[in-house]
This record gives sequence, C-alpha cells and structure tokens, in this order.
Amino acid sequence: MLTEQSAYTNRWRQISPVAKGFVSICGMVAAFAAGSPRTALLVALILSLATVLGANIPPVRYLRVAAPALFFLLASGLSLLASLDFSYNSTFGLSLHLAESELPRIFQVCCRSLACLTALLFLALTTPLTDIISLMRRCKLPETLLDLMTLSYRTLFVLSEAVHETVTAQSARLGYASLTLSLRSLGGLVANLAVQVWQRSQALHLAALARGNDGALRFLEPDYPDSPRAISCAVISGVLLVVLAVYLP
Amino acid sequence: MTDFILSLKDVSYRYPDGTSALNDCSLTIRRGMRTAVLGANGAGKTTMFLHLNGILRSSTGHVRWEETPLDYSRDGMRKLRSRVGLVFQNPDSQLFSASVREDVSFGPMNLGLPKKIVRERVEKALLAVGMAESADKPVHNLSYGQKKRVCIAGVLAMRPEVLVLDEPMAGLDAAMQEELTVVLEHLHAAGMTIIIATHDLDFAYGWADEAIVLQRGRLLAQGNVAEVLLKPDVQTELGSSPIVAEITSSLALTGMAVRVNGYLPRSRSELLKAISEFHRQENEQ
Ligand SMILES: Nc1ncnc2c1ncn2[C@@H]1O[C@H](COP(=O)(O)OP(=O)(O)O)[C@@H](O)[C@H]1O
Ligand SMILES: [Mg+2]
Repeated sequence: MLTEQSAYTNRWRQISPVAKGFVSICGMVAAFAAGSPRTALLVALILSLATVLGANIPPVRYLRVAAPALFFLLASGLSLLASLDFSYNSTFGLSLHLAESELPRIFQVCCRSLACLTALLFLALTTPLTDIISLMRRCKLPETLLDLMTLSYRTLFVLSEAVHETVTAQSARLGYASLTLSLRSLGGLVANLAVQVWQRSQALHLAALARGNDGALRFLEPDYPDSPRAISCAVISGVLLVVLAVYLP
Repeated sequence: MTDFILSLKDVSYRYPDGTSALNDCSLTIRRGMRTAVLGANGAGKTTMFLHLNGILRSSTGHVRWEETPLDYSRDGMRKLRSRVGLVFQNPDSQLFSASVREDVSFGPMNLGLPKKIVRERVEKALLAVGMAESADKPVHNLSYGQKKRVCIAGVLAMRPEVLVLDEPMAGLDAAMQEELTVVLEHLHAAGMTIIIATHDLDFAYGWADEAIVLQRGRLLAQGNVAEVLLKPDVQTELGSSPIVAEITSSLALTGMAVRVNGYLPRSRSELLKAISEFHRQENEQ
C-alpha cells in the first residue's frame, strides 16, 4: 500500500485533482507525441522529477512503486526483441531469432511506455483513489463503473483484513505447518472468503437501504480551495510538456 | 403530539429459511426517551430494528409512526428512513466509501438535498461525533471505535428524529464507550429519541429511561428501566441484574439506604457518590 500512503501524505494532497489529472493526461499525450526515444525519455524524466521533487515523494519509494511495472516493461521489450522462428531452413526447425532491424522501433515503444508510466505514477502517487473516482464522476464516466470502483476499492481493504485474520487464526492452530496442511488451510481460506463476500454484500445492501439509497451511489465531491491557481499552473505546464514533445526532434 | 413515536403491534417475522425471529411482538417507543432494548443473542433485537426502518416488512401486524401505519411506497420509505436512522453493528459492512467525508455524505445525498446543504450537514455531523479532524483520512486507517463514530455521523447527517443503534458498545474499550456515551448524551439533550440494543445490563441501567426486554421474538417486559430490570422474570431471562442495583440493595440490608438526590443510584459513579454522601451525613449526626 505504498501508493496509498503517498497519495495521502504527499505535498500536493490538497491540490485539486482536476489539475493533477490534467497534467497526467498531458503527460500521456506528450509520451505518444514524442518523435524520438530521446524526447520520450526527457518527458519521463520531467514527470518523475516533478513527482519526486514537487510532491516530495522519497525517490526510493518511487522506485519501489515503479519496479513491478518496469520489470514488465523490460520483459515485454525483450520478448518483442526475440522471436521464435519456425522457418524450415534452420537446422533444428525452430530457432531463436533476434529482430535487430526492429531494435529502434522497440526502443521507441519502450521509451514511450516509460513516459506513460511516469505520467500515471504522477497522478497515482499524488491523488487518493477516492479523489480520482470523483474526478472521473465529474467527467461523466458511467455510474455503474464508478460504483464498482468505489465498492471494490473499499472491499479490498475489508477483505485483506479478513484474509489476514483468517490466516492468523489458521496459523495459530498450525494450519500451515506442513505442505498438505497448508493446502487444506488455503482451501478453507478460499471457502471462508467466499461466504464472507456473500454476507458482506448482503449487509452492504441493507445498509444502503437504511440510508435511503434506491439506485446509484451518490457522494459529495471533495471541495478544493485553491482550484483556479492550481488549474492554471497545470494547464501551462501540461501544454508546455506537449509542445516540447511535439517540437523536439 | 402523541407520546409514542414508533410502535409495533402483533408483528411476526419469519426469515426465508424458516427461522421465526419475531412472534406477535408488540411494543412502543416513546418520543424523546432513551430506550434500551435487551435480550439474549437471537432474541430478535436486530430483526425488530429492521422493522422500525422499513427494511423488513412483516406479513401480520403493523408498525406505526405515531398514529399511522408505515407507508411502504418508495416515497414513504424515503421519508421514514430520513426520520429513523439505523446504525448497524459492524462498521465495516456499512461504510461505502474509502473517504470519511464522502461516506458521511451518502445519506443526505440520497435524500436529494442540494450540495451546499449536504456539505453543511456533513461537517456538523462529523463535529457532533468528534471526528472533524479525521474527515480527510481514508476509512481503512481508522480505529474500530472511530469507524463506529463515522457510521453514526453518516446517519446523523440525515437529521433523523429517532436514532437506532444496534449494539454500539460492542467491541469498544472503556474509554471509547465513555466517549460514545457523551455523544449520545448530547443528542438526547438536543431532543433526539434514541434506541439502543445492548447486552450490557449495567450500561442500560445507567443510561436508559425505558427498557424493552425481548424473549425469543416476543416482548417480555417494557417500561421504566429501573422497574423492568428488577422484575424476577426479566432477571431470570437476562441471567443477572445490574450490579449497581444489587450493591444498593445489599447495602440497604445492612441499614445503609444510599441515595443520590433522593433517588437510587443507577451507575457506578452515582453509587460511589451516594455512599460518600451517606457517610458524610452519618458523620454530621
Ligand atoms: N438473515 C437471516 N436469515 C435467517 N435467520 C436469521 C437471519 N438473521 C437473523 N436470523 C435469526 O433470527 C433470530 C433473531 O435474530 P436477531 O434479530 O439477529 O437477534 P438479536 O439481534 O437479538 O441477536 C435468530 O434466531 C437468528 O438466528
Ligand atoms: Mg443483533
């Protein structure tokens, strides 16, 4: 939950999510507009520096959050590079083939993805998910999708607590002492969770009724005081970023 | 204006699996009073509460708001649920949003109020339960007691006339119980009718004006809390009597008739006060 922690404690927490969302989208546009890998890397560098220095996120934490995505980026870059060749003229009938001619294009794709990643992290590390959801609500995204996001996000924590409690209780009775026991306990955990999910959805339904609900989940959007200033800053820096990406060779 | 704000008349309810949870249950809730609902596990307290709020509807008998039977239409339900606020036992199954402020806004938004008024009500409700500083925290970082208070704020923001709490003290430590009691005391002073389901006889004896005792889905006794809790059949059903009442009566057997302001003490602190008052008077004589 490193992302969570940053989203709630960073320096830009109180800045309007509209502003942060706009910069993030401009970042993605810039990443796609970047004509060369060099420009894409520059966009990535600007965005990550802005997140680390501007929002005051510790660089180590930034890297730890980015690590899984970077790993996938590397893996997919390599898999694009190497392809299996089924042509008959090779001795084994099957050979590993390095797409050397494709190298520049693959490099370009990777750099762009990296820039996109930093643009996403810019938003994810500075803005709590509840703010992002209410931003999406304002953008008139489908209600059902947003309700699902709200409930899944909340359920994530409730269930992770339930998992934690069940596992602790099972371990206390030596449920994970051996491999066979572990498998049995794991089965028990899954069955137990399924029941809990069902009961919880019933309870949530009752609670929604009790609070006068009869359809979509409606919440009050948070109110951010310094919106105009933050938005003009965001517009200027976002547009500059895109212009930079478009005009730099 | 009638004295009774809500009443059940011959209400029976059977869950879909066949469990009979209420059996010809009749009872009344008095306006502006603090009512404690007592009963063993499975006596039907929660089921009864779900009837007060119109979530469950019995096939026989009826529930009345003042003189009129409940209107189960969409509009009727919206009106009832804005008047009768129900707080469930488990906070995790009634908090929807991960943000405190957003969650509290859920009820008033459902009432279709303008945003400006919702915003005002949310802030007031958070203040009333002492959670104003935590308004921007994510729900999953709150303690159990804080989550409970957010649930209460969520209902208060709907400005109900009746506040119904299902076992609010369960799972709270002594300090958190004390804080919650203070919150409830303020609400009572402001004229709210409060109904609480509880297992805690001592709490009920000290806090409530009225008591309702349920036994296997039926009303066993109802009335002034001091009278009800000292009835022999209630004591058999609940397994004991309030400790303060027991101490007071055994002191009386030894000739110490302790009183606070002329009344029998109801809580621990009142009992201690009454005893020292008794000694002071002894010494004066
Ligand atoms: N959803 C349900 N489905 C079936 N039976 C239920 C359900 N909820 C409660 N009951 C049963 O109804 C009876 C009354 O329960 P409840 O109202 O929860 O009692 P209390 O709140 O006093 O402990 C119990 O026997 C209980 O097992
Ligand atoms: Mg109950």
